[in-house]
Amino acid sequence: MKAKRAVGSIFRHLLLAFLAVVWLIPILWLFVTSFSSDPGIRTTRFFPEQWTLANYSKLLFHPDTVANFPAWFKNSMIIGIFSCIISSAFVLMVSYAFSCMRFPSRKRLMSFSIILGMFPGVLSMIAIYFVLKMFNLTDSLAGLIVVYSAGSGLGFLICKGFFDTIPASLRESAKIEGASEFTVFTRIVIPLSRPMIVYTVINSFLAPWMDFVMARLMIRSKDPTNWTVAIGLYNILQKTLIGQYFSVFCAGGVVVAIPISILFVIMQKFYVEGITGGAVKG
Amino acid sequence: MKRFFKALGKYFADFGTAVSKGDIWVKLSLFIMGMGYIGRGQVIKGLLVTALEAGFALFTIKISWPYITKLSTLGTVQREEVFDPLTMSKTVNDYDNSLLILLMGVLGIVIIAAFIFIYIANIKAAFRTMLLKKEGKHLNNFREDLRELVNDKFHITLLSLPALGVVFMCILPIIFMVCIAFTNYDAAHQPPSQLFSWVGWKNFITLFANKQGSTFGYAFAKILIWTLIWAALATVTTYIGGILLAMLINHQDTKLKKMWRTLFVITIAIPQFVTLLLISKMFGNYGIVNGILQRMHIISFLQNLGWISTSYVPFMTSSGLTHVMIILINIWVGVPYQMLIATGILMNIPSDQLESARIDGANKFQIFWKITMPYMLFITGPSLVTSFIGNINNFNVIYLLTGDFVTSDGSLAAANAKDVDLLITWLFKITSESVTKQYYMASVIGIIVFIICATLTLVTYSRMIKGDNEEVFQ
Repeated sequence: MKAKRAVGSIFRHLLLAFLAVVWLIPILWLFVTSFSSDPGIRTTRFFPEQWTLANYSKLLFHPDTVANFPAWFKNSMIIGIFSCIISSAFVLMVSYAFSCMRFPSRKRLMSFSIILGMFPGVLSMIAIYFVLKMFNLTDSLAGLIVVYSAGSGLGFLICKGFFDTIPASLRESAKIEGASEFTVFTRIVIPLSRPMIVYTVINSFLAPWMDFVMARLMIRSKDPTNWTVAIGLYNILQKTLIGQYFSVFCAGGVVVAIPISILFVIMQKFYVEGITGGAVKG
Repeated sequence: MKRFFKALGKYFADFGTAVSKGDIWVKLSLFIMGMGYIGRGQVIKGLLVTALEAGFALFTIKISWPYITKLSTLGTVQREEVFDPLTMSKTVNDYDNSLLILLMGVLGIVIIAAFIFIYIANIKAAFRTMLLKKEGKHLNNFREDLRELVNDKFHITLLSLPALGVVFMCILPIIFMVCIAFTNYDAAHQPPSQLFSWVGWKNFITLFANKQGSTFGYAFAKILIWTLIWAALATVTTYIGGILLAMLINHQDTKLKKMWRTLFVITIAIPQFVTLLLISKMFGNYGIVNGILQRMHIISFLQNLGWISTSYVPFMTSSGLTHVMIILINIWVGVPYQMLIATGILMNIPSDQLESARIDGANKFQIFWKITMPYMLFITGPSLVTSFIGNINNFNVIYLLTGDFVTSDGSLAAANAKDVDLLITWLFKITSESVTKQYYMASVIGIIVFIICATLTLVTYSRMIKGDNEEVFQ
């Protein structure tokens, strides 16, 4: 029995190691290529022949007329922070209302929101472009923040599913002791939902960083200082530029990953923490 | 349906009673909306409601009405520029802008509809206040009204801002897009210099009937089938892969759980547009994978077998192989996400349930099927449907991976489509990357995608929304 278990354990670790290697190869290639002295795509060797930091210094300190990474990064950061705050708040508010409160036509409203949330984003983007142009919000950071966060209340499903698992007895006992709904929301449900909040925050912060379709629709400017990281990095990989900028692109990818990785490290422990177990003794 | 009409009938009947049986203050509030409250001493509330009414009247008369009256034609006066040699300046006539008419017209109508709804609700509320006063019951003062908003009516406080956002960013654009599907808005009819007009169902017929000289019908059928296959495969593979990986990492014998998890999470930390573009270059015709295969003489081996005729393996440029590659690469992209979600939920399984099952003598297998899986499905059920729909609309993976793909199918190319396009990337290409910019065809495709997604959701959710199982685990 013990031997069988040991064999299973070894097999499991070997499998994990193999999968990890598969998952990390592209990341490793991105990393080593960012140190390559050859600006274009290398085709025959996995590791560069000569290592250099030139790509990073070019990216960070010597913006040229095509690649202006500091400006892109600043733009993306502003958009990411603001839309993250707004959309996380919206999602949590809507989820609480739908999960923990009972009011007339709640279910009808929920079904309606679910169906509405299914509408392909890219399609309404084209219409949203016309709408925002009317308010003169295209080609501006404010416009992009609105685009990413205004409709975010519709993404309540997963969060509501989580709130549904929080024991109702917790909320009821607080109310018996005289707490208002607002107090229950901020003092009981939110602290108990840390893993879900982390999920929501990560998602809404990542969305603007990952996206480039909407950014490209909204930002028509030819001036690189108005681009976001996504647009900028996408643009330097165009056929005419890729030969000079591929290694710079890789360096950019590594730099972009830094703020997101830090976030993940801080938040990962909330992500998987069990919380409801033991909250109510019964 | 019957119940709906009954409810609708009651809605207006209540309004009728309120008007006929209400006293002078209720009747006055038909004209000045706040009077019903002011008459009962709720002055601040009354003034706020009246201010709302005034704002609405001003907006409609001053701004939106001129546009609403032109909605039926979408404008008749074309823009003309006249150069005046005396003043050396151009004068432009008072032209109609079809796009602005459509947009402001739709916005105006939505606002009017919302106002009528508020108006009726207001009369009813004024009538209720009257009844309360008559019965000698307590009427809330303004401070108590505000307190209600964080208590019994907290849902109104919570939902109003997100709802406003949704109306402006989702509902309004959707109505607007549906309208465009019935017009001839394209590059040849581009405001402000040109007008566009209504054409009825013509665009829908173009999409479904395979007419001479139009390949939209052919392209639509082909792309629809691939979209559905892709969405099903992408969802199932990443979901199962994610759960399996999570269980592998969280197994009690696994050492260094945190390290393994972090290794996979690193792939999420790099934005998709970087990793996807990178991978598409790796598998490119002259990319590193082909370079290494060449060095290992696998290319010449495959050539000898007669499987490939080129000096590279066309991973991202040949129809069948690219489809397979996209799904494989998507597993790489999607599994870490699903693993994280599954881990969070696996950790959250009520430990008392697992414990009592163990005490009752259930083995691991039984615990998995009878407790873990139902719990997983209960929580991730919604996200499964959401990710299927998300995959139907998965723009990033397809668009970023298939930039180098060139279709060999002339009929598809004529409709601005490729073999590997999803409906969503197809409509993006029609509006943004084609010369003709047939916004109307893009809108038609968008409506079809919407109908597919909405039907799917309705079928799956009807049970979940109707059933009372949302309280099972509370």
